[in-house]
Amino acid sequence: MHPLSATPWYSPWESGLFSLAVFTAMVLVFIVAMLAASAWVGQRRPSQEKTRAYESGVIPTGSARLKYPVPFYLVAIFFLLFDIEGAFIFSWAVAFRELGWEGWLQMSFFIVLLLAGLAYVWKKGGLAWGPTRKKA
Amino acid sequence: MIERPPNVADLLINWARENSLWPMFFGLSCCFVEEAVTFTARYDMARFGAEVLRPSPRQADLLITAGTIFKKIAPVILRLYEQMAEPRWVISMGSCSNSGGMFDAYAVVQGINQILPVDVYIPGCPPRPESVLESLVTLQKKIRAKERPSRAIFNLAGGTQGTTGPVLVDEVTKSRDPRGPGMEGIPIRGTAATPPEFWQNRSELMWAPPANRIVFTLAENELAHALTGRFGAAVRPEPHPADMPSFEVDRERVTDVLRFLKHEAAPRFRRLEDLTAVDESARQDRRGRPDYTLVYHLTAYDPPTRLRLKVPLHGADPVAPSATGIWPSAGWYEREAYDLMGVRFEGHPDLRRILMPDEWQGHPLRKGTPGRATEMAPYTLADARRNQPRDAALTARGTDGRERLILNVGPHHVSTHGLIRYIVTLEGEEIVGMDIDIGYHHRCQEKIGERQTWHQFIPYTNRVDYLAGSCNDMSYVMAVETLAGIKVPERAQVIRVLLCELFRLSNHLVWFSTYAHDLGAMAPNFYAFREREMIMDIVELITGGRLHPAWFRLGGVAADLPEGWKQAVDDFVRIFPKALDEYETLTRHNPIFKARSRGVGRLSLEDAIDWGVTGPNLRACGLEWDLRKAFPYSMYDQFDFEIPTATAGDCYARYLVRVEEMRQSLKIIRQAAANMPSGRYVSDQYRYVIPERADMLKDIESLIHHFINVTRGMKMPPGDAYAASEVPRGEQGYYVVSDGLGHPYRLRIRGPGFANVQTVPRIAAGETIADLISIFGSLDYILPDIDR
Repeated sequence: MHPLSATPWYSPWESGLFSLAVFTAMVLVFIVAMLAASAWVGQRRPSQEKTRAYESGVIPTGSARLKYPVPFYLVAIFFLLFDIEGAFIFSWAVAFRELGWEGWLQMSFFIVLLLAGLAYVWKKGGLAWGPTRKKA
Repeated sequence: MIERPPNVADLLINWARENSLWPMFFGLSCCFVEEAVTFTARYDMARFGAEVLRPSPRQADLLITAGTIFKKIAPVILRLYEQMAEPRWVISMGSCSNSGGMFDAYAVVQGINQILPVDVYIPGCPPRPESVLESLVTLQKKIRAKERPSRAIFNLAGGTQGTTGPVLVDEVTKSRDPRGPGMEGIPIRGTAATPPEFWQNRSELMWAPPANRIVFTLAENELAHALTGRFGAAVRPEPHPADMPSFEVDRERVTDVLRFLKHEAAPRFRRLEDLTAVDESARQDRRGRPDYTLVYHLTAYDPPTRLRLKVPLHGADPVAPSATGIWPSAGWYEREAYDLMGVRFEGHPDLRRILMPDEWQGHPLRKGTPGRATEMAPYTLADARRNQPRDAALTARGTDGRERLILNVGPHHVSTHGLIRYIVTLEGEEIVGMDIDIGYHHRCQEKIGERQTWHQFIPYTNRVDYLAGSCNDMSYVMAVETLAGIKVPERAQVIRVLLCELFRLSNHLVWFSTYAHDLGAMAPNFYAFREREMIMDIVELITGGRLHPAWFRLGGVAADLPEGWKQAVDDFVRIFPKALDEYETLTRHNPIFKARSRGVGRLSLEDAIDWGVTGPNLRACGLEWDLRKAFPYSMYDQFDFEIPTATAGDCYARYLVRVEEMRQSLKIIRQAAANMPSGRYVSDQYRYVIPERADMLKDIESLIHHFINVTRGMKMPPGDAYAASEVPRGEQGYYVVSDGLGHPYRLRIRGPGFANVQTVPRIAAGETIADLISIFGSLDYILPDIDR
């Protein structure tokens, strides 16, 4: 066993940390230099065609900012709901013995309620988000 | 101006640029196949500092235009060029891109240099993959020697970088003489060999025996009786058809006749094989002829029977009833007849141009309209800026006035396998409507056919379906041989079968690798092209060509099989089955591949028949129908092979059918090589065929025939004939009309893709946009065969 060093481990003069700092500085300088060089050297010749969206070579129709149906979003929301409710079940499982039969009964009721909700969502078609052809 | 020597910065920048070129492909036609081969295993473009070809202009600085530049696509090329990063370079690949090449035709720009500045031209039709590599090296040399980019880089005046060459102006800075440059002082003698302007036609002085005559079968006789019995004088049988029963039908009754033939006749003609029109105004003898003739070809499956109906039409702008109510597939055929021939169809739900761009004037297939681009006004940069493809909103389907995303897939898109534009209306990811815009690859083949002699057209047939090579020749020579009654020697027939099956394999290998690629698997691409190159080597050994052998001749083939052909074929047949099994394990049991193809893009058998779908796509719906068995030609009935079918009609079924077809093709190749008959390789009916060289050198008769047949072309008896053969993509048919001249009066090509792709909106409705890519790939279409 060798004795502990007299200098604190966080000293900036400790060799490993110092070289890391130098390295970081060099990287930053290098990045800035590259960006600056390309900003200075790089030519900008914007034109109408260059700024146009590429859509297989033809002029795009309409805007891409439109009300876009996201059926998967519903599924995601349902997942979130059931996921959060899962947290109640976990916390009950941890305190299972302390809560006893009363807790078991309450939690069973809660789970049955959840399952009923799931069945309702399923039946309403809330989980079917594929194309209609697949649904058929 | 004297170039100043390069400074250190120039050298450094040029070195960096030349070794990191980022090519973007603009694949237009045949040349692109050879360009694509350049990055597969044998050629490996990456060795030259130009990595995988990019499809988007955002990531590229080198544009390689490969193939024919069409007037309809030129604005798109210009746009993509302008969207590329600067400095940028252009390589023009192939004769068409360089100068229009063999397609001096109304829809083709005579060289990309009329709209873009070009650095390097690659000659050839198509150039070999090696020439693409050479062009890269040439461009690198050019960058090294000619460019001085440092001044521009440091924001100083002067210096050169990227393409600086001028855009040429047709007729001003470049020659547009069809005879080539340097002929300006010499007036053109004679007239074009196309009626009605054609005078001093030597064919009039020649004699030819009458066209082939068939003897009707019992069933065909009964059918003729049934038709005349039911419709009386409205249906008139043609006296001596050369190929199939043919009837002239009055315009007023044609809908009834078609409906009768589809639903009640025995046999039932369930497929509209083809629908086209003939302009009769330039006939040598106009007496008793209408102004236009509408021609329907129908097919019955059980027993295999074909039938032709001709409907005479009168007037400068003729009108006919639409058959869309009987066959939905008539939709595109009628639009084509309207676009190219100016025949209007009453009751057609959507009669508008299909191949030509909206701004086009006139109907190009009418007699007397110019067929050559060099007879028309030059195409300029200004035209390319002005004539934009139609706005998608005008034809998008299924929007129902609601705000929906309209997306253009194509014309320049990796997954569309060529220049075709799907205008897709999306509700979320789901496709709710689709319109297809074709005609970006219209090479005017039918019009060109009218100015070539019967033999001269053969190089063009290869380019109708450029992945199927000799298979194309088969349909054309069969049609002409049927009309003239030319007997083909057995050896020639088996040689033809050998070539066709080799090309079927080669085509299916390309399909296999690109389909796997469409579904996200890159590896099959590199493997499958290895065996495809082996096939190309065999083809090259036998014919001297790769993609376009142009090796069939009327009455036979161009030359006998060379020494060593059998060894090459045997070597291939030995290794291929194992290779195929190996590749197949990459896909068939791959869960991603199955999930993307099973149950996707289903097509029912009824729909497939109604829409005229042919080939593997039809067989994947469950119908055992293959022309090689249904109408055996070229001795296919002597070969032992099966017709693979599947029943699901989805992408996976189409995959299974094609893969099994490869095994069957191999079986045929093995038999053809083992039992090659001896004898002549070309018929001795020298009136029609180009005589064997040995005979031509020996006796005067053969010499005369040789001279006539290769110069002005032989005289063909008047009449018409239709013949179809099973090309890898389906049934390709040629309808040739002869007016007793040295070239076809009308030449009509029925491409399988035209009918197959017309069903895409029906297949794709209700699928997701991602599955659309799977559907394209599984249908295996090719654009020159759709647009022709």
